[in-house]
Formats: sequence, C-alpha cells, structure tokens
Amino acid sequence: MSTVTRRAFLKATAAGVAVVGFPLPLRAQAKTVKVGLIHTVTGPLAEPGQACRAGAQLAADMINAAGGITSLGGAKIEFLLGDTQTKSDVARTEAERVINQGAQVLMGTFDSGNTAAIVPVAQQRRVPFLVDVAAADPITANVAKSVKAGQQKVQYVYRNFPTGSSFGRRAVQYFNEIFKETGQNPRRVVVMHANDLFGSIQAKGFKAAWDAAKPSWEIVDVIPWPEPPSDLSTEVSRAKALKPDIIAPITRPASAQLLLPELIKQRVEVLGVISPGSPGLYEAGQIAALKQDLEYVMDNVPWPNFKNPKTQQVAAEYRKRTGGKTFDTQSGYSYDAVFILADVLERAKSTDPDAIVDAIKKTRFSGGLMVYGGPVIFNDLGDNPNAIPAMIQILGQKPLVVWPKDAAQEKLVFPRPKR
Amino acid sequence: MDLTLVAQGLLSGLLFGGVTSLMAVGLTLIFGVMRVVNFAHGDMMVWGMYLAWMLSSRAGIDPYLGFVVCAAALFVLGLGVQRGLVDRILDAPHEMQILLMLGVALVLENAALVAFGPEPARVRSSLTLPPLWLGPLFVDVARLITFVIAIALTVLLGLFLFRTAFGRRIRAAADNPYGALVVGTDVRRVYAVAFGIGAACVGAAGALVAPILPFQPTTGLGLSVASFNIVIIGGMGSLLGAFLGGLIVSIAESLGAVFLAPSMKELVSFGLLIVILLFRPAGLFGKRAA
Repeated sequence: MSTVTRRAFLKATAAGVAVVGFPLPLRAQAKTVKVGLIHTVTGPLAEPGQACRAGAQLAADMINAAGGITSLGGAKIEFLLGDTQTKSDVARTEAERVINQGAQVLMGTFDSGNTAAIVPVAQQRRVPFLVDVAAADPITANVAKSVKAGQQKVQYVYRNFPTGSSFGRRAVQYFNEIFKETGQNPRRVVVMHANDLFGSIQAKGFKAAWDAAKPSWEIVDVIPWPEPPSDLSTEVSRAKALKPDIIAPITRPASAQLLLPELIKQRVEVLGVISPGSPGLYEAGQIAALKQDLEYVMDNVPWPNFKNPKTQQVAAEYRKRTGGKTFDTQSGYSYDAVFILADVLERAKSTDPDAIVDAIKKTRFSGGLMVYGGPVIFNDLGDNPNAIPAMIQILGQKPLVVWPKDAAQEKLVFPRPKR
Repeated sequence: MDLTLVAQGLLSGLLFGGVTSLMAVGLTLIFGVMRVVNFAHGDMMVWGMYLAWMLSSRAGIDPYLGFVVCAAALFVLGLGVQRGLVDRILDAPHEMQILLMLGVALVLENAALVAFGPEPARVRSSLTLPPLWLGPLFVDVARLITFVIAIALTVLLGLFLFRTAFGRRIRAAADNPYGALVVGTDVRRVYAVAFGIGAACVGAAGALVAPILPFQPTTGLGLSVASFNIVIIGGMGSLLGAFLGGLIVSIAESLGAVFLAPSMKELVSFGLLIVILLFRPAGLFGKRAA
C-alpha cells in the first residue's frame, strides 16, 4: 500500500481548498455563464433525462457557435452537468454541488419529485432555477405562495412546461373536441395510471378538470398501479369488467410496454386509447417495441411544432447527434429552455440572480420550437400559461400531431379500426 | 365483487407465480448452501433477460428455447462470481458479504446500462399471441408456457438435489460443511456449482419472464427485493418454501389488485411478510433457529 505523508496530505488539501474556496480568479479567465444542468440521466427515468441533456446541449452549442450572449461580451453558456440518478436526495446534493462549483443558473430535471427537491436549494442559495421539464403544480406554486405570504422575498423558480393541472384541463378539452369532431359519443372512460408523483398528479388533474367541466362522458373508475409494475394483467381485467368506451392511461415507458399489449391480449374493445399525458409513449424505441399495439394510441403531450421549418432542421440535427432519436417533448423543451435562458441573460445584461429574475419576469419570447398557445411568458406563479400540450397519435408507426387542428400534421383516426 | 374477476386474478397470479418461484428457488439455494445472501440476484436475472433479448433479436432464437443458453451463461457467471469473489469472504461477517454482493449488483446494473442503454426492452416470442379463452377467463399463452417450464425446471432441480450423488453432496455441504469435508467432499467445488445453479435458475427465470415483463437495467433491485420477500416468507434455505412462497406471493398480489386499489397490491405481499415474521419467524417451511 502506498503511504500518504502528512505533508503531502496537507499540501493536497491546501491546493484543493484553494481551488474550491477561491474559484473567482479561475472563472474570470474564460468568459462563460455557468448553468447547472441537472437531469435524471441514470436510474429508472434515464432515457428521458438523457434526451433532456442532449436537447439542451444542442441548443447551447448553437448559441455558443453564434457568438454566445452578446450583452455579456459574448459569454458562452457552459454546462455543469448533474445527474439525479432519478433520486430526490441525489437531486438535492447535485444541485448543491454544481452551485458550489459556481453555477449561476440551474436547469432540470424531468422528474417532478427530483425537481421539487432542488427548489429549496435554489431558493436558499439564490440561484435562479428554470425548470425545463416537470409537470407537478406545487414546484412553482409552493414558492409563489410563500413569497406572497412574505415568508420568502424573491421567487427564483420558474418553469416553461405545462403544469399537471393544465394538462388535465387541456386533455378534457381535447377529449370533448375530438369526440365532437368525429361525431362519436363515448360514455364510459376508465383512467389507469402509474402511482408515482407524476402519474398521480396527472390523474388527479384530469379528474379535477373533468369534475369542473362536467362533460357528457363519465370517468367510471381510476385504477392506479405501483410504478414500475411487475404485472398489469389483473389491472386490465379490472378495467375490462367496467365495459369502458375509452381507456385513458397515464404510463411511464416501462408500464406502457406492459399495459398496451395486455389491453390487446385481453381483447378490451374500446373506441380508443387516449392518454391524458404519458411521457415517452412516442419514443422510437417504444414504437419499435410495441409495434401494432401502439398504433392509433393518442397521447396528450407537449410536442414540437413540426409545421415550423426551424423545428424540422433542429430535429434533423438532433437525430444526427443522437444516433436516430426523435426530437420530442423532453429534448424539445430542454432545447427551448436554453434559448429562453439566453434571451433572459441577453436582457439581464448581468449574472446577478435578482437581475436574472427581473428579466425572467419580463420574458416575451416567441422563438420556441414547441407547440405553444402564444409567446413564452411567466405568470405570477412562475409558470408559462402558453405552454400547452398537443394531442399526438401514432399513425403508420409515427407520432403525429392530430389536435389542436391548426397544429395538426395529419387527420386523426377515431374510433380506432377493429382488429 | 365480480366472481369472474376474482377467478381471473387467481389464474393470472398463479401463472405469474411459476416464474417468481423459480427466481426465489435460485436465491434460497445459494443461501441454503453457503449462507450468503445474494444481493445481486435481481441484477443477474436482468442479465438473463438481456441475453434472451440478444438471442431473440440477433439470432432469432425464441426465448422459450433460448432460456437454456441463458441458464448456461448465468451458470458460468455464478461460478465465476463464487470462485473469484464470494469464496474469499465465506467466513467474513454477514455485512461484508452484503457489501460485496451489493457491489456485484451495482457492477451488473451499470454494465447493463452501458451495454444496452436505459430504454425499456421487451422480447417478442412467436408464441406470445393469441391468448386462450376458457369461457370468460383468458389464459395468456406466454404465461402458461412460462409457468409450465418454470415448474418443470424447479422439479428437475429438486430431483437433482435429492436423487443424484452430486445433489447429495450439495445437501451435505449445506448441512454440515466440516462433516462433508471429512468424508471427502470437495466443498469448494460444491459451493461453486451450487452458486452456479442458483444463478442458472435466475437466468432461466429472466429469459422466461422476458416476453411478459419489459425490463431496464434498473429492474434488478425490485426483483431482488421480491425474491427476498418470497424466500423469507417460505423460509430461508427451503426449496419447497421458496417454490410455494413464490406462488403464494404472486397470487396474493394479484388478488390484492382485485380487492384493493392496485397500487396497494405490494402492501399485500409485504404485509404477508410482516405477519409471517411475527408468527413464524423462520418462515413457512424454514427450520426453527436453534
């Protein structure tokens, strides 16, 4: 065994302290804005987390190649990468770590639970946190509430992504519009969902929106399952016994691969399988794995606006970089978040946290590539009310926007043809 | 309560139970012989799944045939892990063994992540569809085949242990390693083979369940925990206990999904665990601790 002498140890420690404790002279050499980019890069949600990271990196490379942030003397965006391992405690320590390494802004994380764990760190350390993907309402709403109540001075947490409750409202709205458009009159809807934070909030949001809208159809039961599931056959038998017209599943990638084939196997005859919002259902890997079991399935998701030629270009570049992956919800929203951040920094003309927050509040950005209901703005909760989902449908083994009508790439197929 | 639904739950649980039994049998064999708790059990199973996936997607071998290859590959892996790692710490305290096996689990999980990526994978068998219908009850053919093969493998393992000379040596080494050594048994070899067989069981279980259950590199931990649960309910080290425990837990979870909110079904199996630990601490078929 090699021995470390006391002197060598002291020297190394002193050098380490010097680097960690006095990072400013080092930072001044290269002009960059340090952004802590923290996602679920490993663990159960590794796939979407990696898509987020890839989308953000593509955007940063484009911004840096075009000269960086002009108002900050052409400062480049530099990512300090973090990985939550899909664990909330790790998310928190990763946030602490990147801030200690000099992160001036945080972005992340895909998972609502992980994101919520970073929120208090961002607030305590006064580091603006732009949530790129995460839907649970409380992430921003709780901070807004405590700022309003005077418990905290400034809100540092903002989000450019549809919230769980807005997902629900849009889903109910799209359900109604699709039924009306196709002249169908389904009565019985069974909601089936993953019971993690995202799935539960998504299901609750859908149910609450349905309660508020009182449409002509009924939610006859809500069937949750533990995520990740080991078996869903009994759950599907239970749903089948309810004689549903529509199955409204809220799945994660693994549970989708269990649920959709089981619906076919057990011959659950429905007019359609329409998800109020399931991440990953449209991924190339999912389509390859599920094949015909996924055909005609609709999913209410935030989606890139492929009617925009810029989106097509970026999607092609993204495909090239990632070895054939689809530019989708995750990569798209993370991509947009970096451009929003660049716009904010441009206007803030400073990396002071409060200057950044002021600029965030005044955001009116229309360069996004996703399907939006208007320019990117932030309301008093810190959310963008114009971040809306679109209804996509798997047609010919491709995910295509079918609703709202003005963003539709293809005419929707409903009811789905009998097998 | 809809009776058809209860019957369907019972049937689905029973059919899924075959493979959970096989998985638990592998774990209990290793523990019974070496007193080593294999925390890498679930991750070994995941490797069985990925091997089946590779055989099916690259070579077109159906998982219901490929499971033999998977079992053989995992046998070799198990043998290697035992000879190279476990053998060195057999006499070490339990926490050392746990740390070692957790390390193996982490290496296996992350190796799978590097090799196959994080996306959930699924194996398609040409026999997966269509299902059979017994009146209102449906029988998933994939599950039926999995069940039959899993039961057959468990029975074969039982015959091997109780009807062959080598099986007798394994049992002797499990019962009293020193005594086995005295009468001329190569205990180290027996240990290595037993670990290999345990790993082969879980490799076969992985390949058999691959057409039913989508899997990711991270699937392993849940499978390990499920195996421990079954083995503790059945009685640590008892083959019959692990076998019946697998069926009981699977049926209990399936019925839990019928009678409770399905997200609570794991409550049923772990609730069962607590009850068993309270009233029969050695498990259903375990020997009482001295």
